[in-house]
Amino acid sequence: MIFNTPLFYLFFLFFVFFYGFVFLRQKPKIYFLLVSSLIFYGAWNYRFIPLLVGSAVADYFIAQAIERATTISSKKRFLGLSVAINLGILGLFKYADFVLSSAADLLSFLGAEVDLPTLALVLPVGISFYTFQSMSYTIDVYRGEMAARKGLVEFTAALSFFPQLVAGPILRAKQILPQMHDIPVPTWDGAKHGLLLVTTGVLKKTTADLLAIPAAKVFEADGPVSLMETWTGVLAFAGQIYGDFSGYTDMAIGLALLLGFQIPLNFRVPYFATSPVDFWRRWHISLSSWLRDYLYFSLGGNRNKRRFRNVMVTMLLGGLWHGAAWTFVLWGAFHGALITASHTLGSWSALARIHQSESRWIKLGQWLLTFYLVLIGWVLFRATSMESAWAVLVNMHSFAGGLPVPGVKASTILLLTLATVGLIHVMDYYVLKSAHKLEKRTWLLAILLIIGQALCLFIGKPSNEFIYFQF
Amino acid sequence: MSSSTSNSDRSGGESRRVYRKTFLAITLGMAAAMGIIRLITHLNDVGGDTIMSRIQEAWAALPDIVAEEDNVVMVFGSSMTEAGFSPRQFDRQMKEQGIAVKSFNFGFGGVNPYFQDYLARRIREAFEAKDRRLSLAVLEFVPFQATKARYAGAVSAIDSFVTILASPEEMWDIALQDPERGALMFNIRYLRDNVSAEIITDHFGGVLRPDRPRSSLPEDEAMSERRRELGDQLNAAFEEDYPDYAGEDWSYGWQGGGTIPEERSASTLEILPQYYETLRTPRRMENDKLNRISCCDIEELEFEEELVAAYIRIVKVFQQFSDHVEVVMLPRHTEWIRYSPEAAARLAAVLDRIRDETGVTIRDDQLLPGVTPEMFRDTTHLARYFGDVFYTSHLVDVYAPLLRSVAR
Repeated sequence: MIFNTPLFYLFFLFFVFFYGFVFLRQKPKIYFLLVSSLIFYGAWNYRFIPLLVGSAVADYFIAQAIERATTISSKKRFLGLSVAINLGILGLFKYADFVLSSAADLLSFLGAEVDLPTLALVLPVGISFYTFQSMSYTIDVYRGEMAARKGLVEFTAALSFFPQLVAGPILRAKQILPQMHDIPVPTWDGAKHGLLLVTTGVLKKTTADLLAIPAAKVFEADGPVSLMETWTGVLAFAGQIYGDFSGYTDMAIGLALLLGFQIPLNFRVPYFATSPVDFWRRWHISLSSWLRDYLYFSLGGNRNKRRFRNVMVTMLLGGLWHGAAWTFVLWGAFHGALITASHTLGSWSALARIHQSESRWIKLGQWLLTFYLVLIGWVLFRATSMESAWAVLVNMHSFAGGLPVPGVKASTILLLTLATVGLIHVMDYYVLKSAHKLEKRTWLLAILLIIGQALCLFIGKPSNEFIYFQF
Repeated sequence: MSSSTSNSDRSGGESRRVYRKTFLAITLGMAAAMGIIRLITHLNDVGGDTIMSRIQEAWAALPDIVAEEDNVVMVFGSSMTEAGFSPRQFDRQMKEQGIAVKSFNFGFGGVNPYFQDYLARRIREAFEAKDRRLSLAVLEFVPFQATKARYAGAVSAIDSFVTILASPEEMWDIALQDPERGALMFNIRYLRDNVSAEIITDHFGGVLRPDRPRSSLPEDEAMSERRRELGDQLNAAFEEDYPDYAGEDWSYGWQGGGTIPEERSASTLEILPQYYETLRTPRRMENDKLNRISCCDIEELEFEEELVAAYIRIVKVFQQFSDHVEVVMLPRHTEWIRYSPEAAARLAAVLDRIRDETGVTIRDDQLLPGVTPEMFRDTTHLARYFGDVFYTSHLVDVYAPLLRSVAR
């Protein structure tokens, strides 16, 4: 079930009716929330409900076992079991075929032709999100950062909480479990902000769907693509991925707010970043902070001499988290290299002075360079193969694809794409900085929300799928 | 405080107030947004109605058709059928041979087999409801209507057209098979007045679509001027000859066809060949052909499985309530439309499949002897009063023996 569809509106209205007016006490509310979340998940594929519930049940009991264990080694064993279960599920459904096909390619490269079978399993929606979320709980209990919870239903309801179940943000157990234990009361101010976020989210998602068209024309082109068309496609994809993912996140945060739940911010206008490090502080914050806290720090973080190795490992695995393909690994490596280079260059005093400069021109230069590098990264991310990525990168920097077809349309579409990507960011910046002012004027907010929703109902979607559902 | 007491329990009143406001904000907000959409689409005349009006008028006439006393013949197809078959001429010529039939032109432009399949089911329901059968169903198969290109061009219209043409049972079937699509379809039918977001985007987004290839031949200005002049004369003559014409796209009085030569004045019939000549300038013909290549892959014919399957379903639907069903392929303007050898092979394979899966007879009139270039008004459609007269007479010759044997 996808948020910006009539079915979800219907589902949510029924949900609010029962959740807000019928089930008033904690227990029935939490049971109803759990059942509704499972229905929401099952609407996509009910066969995977046991996997989700099983994952929750396993980690719930493992966390208790970790807490009860008296020795570090037994705690470690139980944590290992939790990590093995979660990564095992993820590995089986998401990476098995990638590993098998890569092994076959390697053997073929070495001269041994082996026909390895593939499993061709359906990838359960949201698996990368809920396994990471569940793992964070057992790791936190192991580290003593939180106590194992009593209440399997609460824990399962937290893991399957429908607003953020299928595409995040990745919630930490300590963020969501207390809210499940003592269900929050929504406030009208919170609800107004929630409605604003839902509307901006739908608007961004709708825009992303439109941007998908020029992006696909470049990344799925058979013939030559001109320089201008290539830049249009790459910019469009930058807008598409941001609109798609942050739009979903906005809707998730907004819907949770309508119910009184607080979900932390996942994006902070990332294309305004002025360095690769800054970009990762603004992009998919819940994943980057998860990787930092549970992987990078576990590797030693920046306290030992292997800081850059740790950055590279973290970013490589971060890339692989996004998809089982070498292009994602390369994307992760590219960003790892950018972060490493940023740190290295930043330690040179001359560059450090430039970096800390308040000059607008220098800031503009830093922003342009960062945005350009991020775009290069998106080419690796979007391309379906290494060859395709290389072709797009070449077309971005040469006239190999020839000139665009004469006429105003190519340049109009480029300008429209640029304007759209920019407008999404300006809207987000405004919501981030000044939403509270708008929300004080309820009538103005209502008019804007109605216009925003009307705009979304006005625009047809070539596809309703969210890109991040596949991760 | 008990652990089963939540924040909500403690602030039940406030909580309910917020939920009430939220519930109202969502429902009223969406209603207002929907209102805006309906207003804009109404003011801009967006929707499938333009193409659908002829279908809807034909659909509305079904009760009268079913109640006809004579044997009923239906020629079902595309705009090529609409232009190329004259039901009243057919009936007249049959009557001259002592055969009483009432035929109807069910040719519709801008559709494809996917949509026609729904319409065929509605026709079947109307006949079955009155326990009536069609004596003869002549189903046109248009190769370029079943191509991938044609299907791609119609994707944005699918939801709107299906909500117009599907029965309530079919809508529920969609909802049961795919609740998400079902909810969307009910939303389009009952809240959006059959206007999907995709069809709106298609309507307004046309300016950003790449230009279709155009002929590089020069425009014959003198011929254009002559066309306008003759067009004005024909319009004036039409208004004079048919003062009661109400502007319907599908007229029951004309049995879904157009006017016939017998009703027109000698001077009008004299103007018509000149008018058609002005339509067939090399530039216009080339543009028409390029348009057909671009929209429908008319010369290469890469078939779309979904559309071929839909066509087979159409044949099977008609077979359920018709005494006799035949498939025909209308004359092709071979000076302009030429299949590549691969396209010809693909077409032959599709025709074999239709024949195998339905057992129907396929009458291939694409290269019908006697058809001349002057009988066409463009690269695909027969010209009224000329091409349709010839082709309708041909159908009379073909089906008279059959209809004589079933005459009531």
